[in-house]
Amino acid sequence: MMKVRVDPAKCQGHGRCFALAPEIFQGDDRSHCLIPNENVPRHLEAKARLGKVNCPEGAIRVEVT
Amino acid sequence: MAADNINPENGEINLLDAKFAACPQPVYAELLEHYRIATTAVLGAPILSRYEDVIWALRHPEIFSSAMDVHLALGSERPMIPLQVDPPTQTRYRKILDQRFSHKRSLELEPAVRRHANQLIDAIIDRGECEFGAAFAIPLPCLTFLSLMGLPHADLDLFTELKDGIIRPPVPGSDLVGAFEHRAATGKRIHAYFETVIDERLAAPQDDIISYLTTAVIDGDQLTRNEVLDICFLFLLAGLDTVTATLGCIVAYLATNPPQRRRFGQEPELVPQAIEELLRWETPVTTVTRVVKQDVMIGSVEIKAGTMVNLLLGAADVDKAEFPDADRVDFERQQNRHVAFGGGPHRCLGSHLARMELRAALEEWHRRIPEYTLKPGETPRFSPSIREVRYLPLVW
Repeated sequence: MMKVRVDPAKCQGHGRCFALAPEIFQGDDRSHCLIPNENVPRHLEAKARLGKVNCPEGAIRVEVT
Repeated sequence: MAADNINPENGEINLLDAKFAACPQPVYAELLEHYRIATTAVLGAPILSRYEDVIWALRHPEIFSSAMDVHLALGSERPMIPLQVDPPTQTRYRKILDQRFSHKRSLELEPAVRRHANQLIDAIIDRGECEFGAAFAIPLPCLTFLSLMGLPHADLDLFTELKDGIIRPPVPGSDLVGAFEHRAATGKRIHAYFETVIDERLAAPQDDIISYLTTAVIDGDQLTRNEVLDICFLFLLAGLDTVTATLGCIVAYLATNPPQRRRFGQEPELVPQAIEELLRWETPVTTVTRVVKQDVMIGSVEIKAGTMVNLLLGAADVDKAEFPDADRVDFERQQNRHVAFGGGPHRCLGSHLARMELRAALEEWHRRIPEYTLKPGETPRFSPSIREVRYLPLVW
């Protein structure tokens, strides 16, 4: 099971995550990262990782349990 | 190629050299390989080039401060907001400004950008040639800015003159006093212009940024008139040249790389990612400066408090330690954490607006003029610091 989380203290609103993987990430009214559902369905795991590795602030974490 | 820009004895480099601006990537590669800390030839200021060093500095404003006395040299009587202000004050400004420059708000301007782009293309398409800057890259961001600010498009020439009056004063390069005086005089004109607009918006609010700023409330406080002015001043300086420079750098690259250019026209779904890769490769804003607030170690070298430091964003963006195959332009790059828009709390406020403008403008251009090249026998000319292509003759 994959979970994806954002550290709001690190996020600076670059918006790379929701541009690349809108199925998982959204932008709030300041373009900071929102994750409506932290449980990632299997078919979107690659998308979650894509968002993580493109965050310039290293604000996104992906955990597999 | 790189060696003649870098003094091998002491790692000094002239960042204001036009040759460097035209083709900086080999210089970056040499800096990254040999000089963790280089220095500028003119002031001897340290230069950080590695991705890890640059992003670390960007994320630590308590050490690498943006509060510098450089606003005077740029014709502004007070620091520009929020660029030259540190957190936590800067954070308060960003709370209200980020909302107005969000991804979603930026998309609202997209139809206007496409309309402006098409009007500019209409004027040149039958001619079969143009100087890209004058015909497209300079007026388009200016028109977008006027739309955003709710200002009349008839002021296009005035705005171009005002921002050029600050960024490149019309005096010889050696006339530093003349440049300073021209900037100060232009700064006064910019203030006077916005003073009038602020009065008009206070009397009759509209749905534009200036009305928003005159009524915005941060933690219970309204912005003062000077704060609104200092924000407008920055918008004028930061919002026009940067997009002009980026459009020029990207189109200059595509004009000389036909296979990549064709992909722009033929694979529209690839355009956003291709723009990110060209932002990385070109990094038009090559450098940002910070002043060190406390002694800090970079590797084995100590930088003393009070030192002005250059963060070479362009070099960080071609660092092999962060980007595999860093010297290859790869539109399919899967991991691209470039710092062309900076990073940390000062991440470019206009980055979402800029990305929309670049995408809309480049899509319209390549839809209507997919086949173009550099005019035979001509060479593009670049200006340093912000790598604006001052001369880019195209034919189609």
